[in-house]
Amino acid sequence: MIKIENVSKSYVKGKKSIDNLNLEIKDGEIFGFLGPNGAGKTTTIKMITGILNIDEGDILIDGKSITKNPLEAKKEFGFVPDNPDMFLKLKGIEYLNFLADIYEIPNAERREKIETLTKKFEIYDNLNSEMQSYSHGMRQKIIICGVLLNNPRNWILDEPMTGLDPKSSHDLKEMMREHSKNGNTVFFSTHVLEVAEKLCDRVGIINRGKLVFVGTFEEMKERFKENKSLEDLFLEITENEE
Amino acid sequence: MKSKVISLTNVILKNSFQNMETAKSANENKKSKSMVVLYVFVFIYLAGIMGVFSNGLIKELMAINQEQMFLGLILLAIALFVLIQSIFSAINILYYSKDNEYILPLPIKPSQIVASKTNVLLITEYFIVAIIGLIPLIIYGILTSASVLYYIAMLIVILAFPIIPTLISSLLVLIIMSFAKFTKNRNRFQLIATIFVLIVVLAASFALNNTTATPEELVEMVTKANGLVEMVRHAFPTLGMAINGLTEANIGKQILNLFLLVLTTGVIYFIYILIGQKLYLKGAVGNLSSGKKTKKKLNEEKAFRNSSLTRTYIGKEFKTLIRNPIFFMQCVLPAILFPVLMIVFSFMGIKQEQGGEIADITGMITDKTSIYLGIGILCAIQFFLMFVYISATAISRDGQNAVFMKYIPVPLMKQIDYKVIPNIVMTTFMNIITIIIVQYLFKLPIIYLLLITIAGIVMGILQSYVSIIVDLKKPKLEWSSEYAVVKQNMNLIWPVVLALLNITILIILTIIVGKSLNSYITVGLIIVLYSILTVIVRNYIKNNVEKLFEKIY
Repeated sequence: MIKIENVSKSYVKGKKSIDNLNLEIKDGEIFGFLGPNGAGKTTTIKMITGILNIDEGDILIDGKSITKNPLEAKKEFGFVPDNPDMFLKLKGIEYLNFLADIYEIPNAERREKIETLTKKFEIYDNLNSEMQSYSHGMRQKIIICGVLLNNPRNWILDEPMTGLDPKSSHDLKEMMREHSKNGNTVFFSTHVLEVAEKLCDRVGIINRGKLVFVGTFEEMKERFKENKSLEDLFLEITENEE
Repeated sequence: MKSKVISLTNVILKNSFQNMETAKSANENKKSKSMVVLYVFVFIYLAGIMGVFSNGLIKELMAINQEQMFLGLILLAIALFVLIQSIFSAINILYYSKDNEYILPLPIKPSQIVASKTNVLLITEYFIVAIIGLIPLIIYGILTSASVLYYIAMLIVILAFPIIPTLISSLLVLIIMSFAKFTKNRNRFQLIATIFVLIVVLAASFALNNTTATPEELVEMVTKANGLVEMVRHAFPTLGMAINGLTEANIGKQILNLFLLVLTTGVIYFIYILIGQKLYLKGAVGNLSSGKKTKKKLNEEKAFRNSSLTRTYIGKEFKTLIRNPIFFMQCVLPAILFPVLMIVFSFMGIKQEQGGEIADITGMITDKTSIYLGIGILCAIQFFLMFVYISATAISRDGQNAVFMKYIPVPLMKQIDYKVIPNIVMTTFMNIITIIIVQYLFKLPIIYLLLITIAGIVMGILQSYVSIIVDLKKPKLEWSSEYAVVKQNMNLIWPVVLALLNITILIILTIIVGKSLNSYITVGLIIVLYSILTVIVRNYIKNNVEKLFEKIY
């Protein structure tokens, strides 16, 4: 469970990039975080993961505060950043072993997990090559594998579908569904409204640092009482707030 | 053709220096102004050292009517320095630079690209030449009461003379890199190629430098006014023309020599461009698709082993440092290269002195001289430390990836400790090599030597932590080429400032306590002082670690 309580953040004094954000992502839920460019999606994700300090409020991950107890909180989530160009000079296997060492995954379990995950994503045969030689999609896949090694209860993904081929994208969505079915939390940001509609139990729309809508797609349509397309609804919500 | 070369040169230059412009807000502007002041200060400091050194040497040589030897030495120093320095720069600017991805698809001839990139190379070389060449030559002019013509000739020589050494290095790089397409592991090839070129150039410079003269010839040279300069006149192809261009009493001959210098340089530049047209693309095109695509099978027995966090983290740091050719060449190689250069130089020195003088000195070492020797070694190590910036780029090298440190469940201070270890290892390595050479030459008491080694290592640890503070406070995370992190990075002035500061502290300390304390206690005092400073600096990082990481997001 991820709980965001009265969180505000300013980069420039007097101008709030995130303004009093309150949000609760429950166990067993896939939550899509939507919003136009520069709305505050990445800032929010960076605060949840401890990359950015929070000015006001707090964020709890399975009850552990990212501000007061950061190390414990960080053990509770796995994070997939939007840019997969990480540690390109390491071989795939070295990267996964590095993460497995950080999360203290024992030998037997590590071998089984690495084999299962990388075979599922069809990158097992590339594990012994430097990640520099991977395509964008392959880099994305190995980062996702790295996150899943630790089997964290909460998944936080920033634009996870970007660069994935249709099969990998499908596999990832299936894995997200399975993860939430087991009572875990999936929180991800996306620009692709169709993905959000098909996958998410609930969505949150953020615009100019403020949460302008939280709920299911049915609730969204209900609220506007219009039979418009998802795209039109999204545009209406974000434009009305300007 | 001309306009394309000029505009491409402009673009590459601007692109590489753009990253250095920090002026944005008023506050930032203030900061960047103070950075300029710092740069000017360091420049004046180094120029001052060169000035004092030149002044002394010229006066000594004037006393024996051999002042022209000074010109020979300075020009030779420029040639050697530019030769070595431009190997690193040439391989980076010509081949590793990311702008190749954008330049190669444009309708520009390879010769135009080579010309523009070589121009950029030359312009950056002139900065160094200004320090090691311009100031000594001006002082020479003043002390020998030279005419205006000397200063005009000096400008021509300063501009023209460094071109040929630069072209020689670049040409070697062009030739070696054109073989790159035949190799399987490109990264390793590039690394080996760079080291190979370096060795060739070093060997060549030593061969040139090692002009031997029989005792009779030597006597003749010394007794003849300005005869000594003959020893170096032929050490480098255009050296004779440059010396004559500066010193010839007959104006006609002086102008002729300058004309010959410019003409030779021009012809060689032209030939170089012609060769560049033929060779450049062979190396550059293949270079874009770096990284091997072939799949190597996992060794399943060894692949899934766990190890401690400390080992795995430090291992990752070393791997990313060593496998990246630019980081390796700029951060790791100097730590190995400087001591090795020292070994070669000292062996040559011994050969020339035939061991006689060194042995005399060894016999004369008293406690007072061993203080000066000890402090001298530590100062030399500090000088080398200016070029080790593994720590100073530890955060920036990760680029946008640096945020990784913040979301993994490993305490930030622990990660800082892991990140400075490669710097500590390399500075320690450099220390030990230096000490071994010193021991070979001077035979100091073992315990004293051990104390100096410890002092050097402690100073290296301090440098490692101070440098990482600099990188944390002003990280350079948005970069398109690794070259920008290790070359066009204003932070790298701080290791220089720290080293100069340490040298000053060491000298002052020697002056104050060196007279009343013995050599062991003096070095012991340095160890205690720098240990305390290191603990203070590390504690500062520990207590402010969250705040120090604020800029990384």
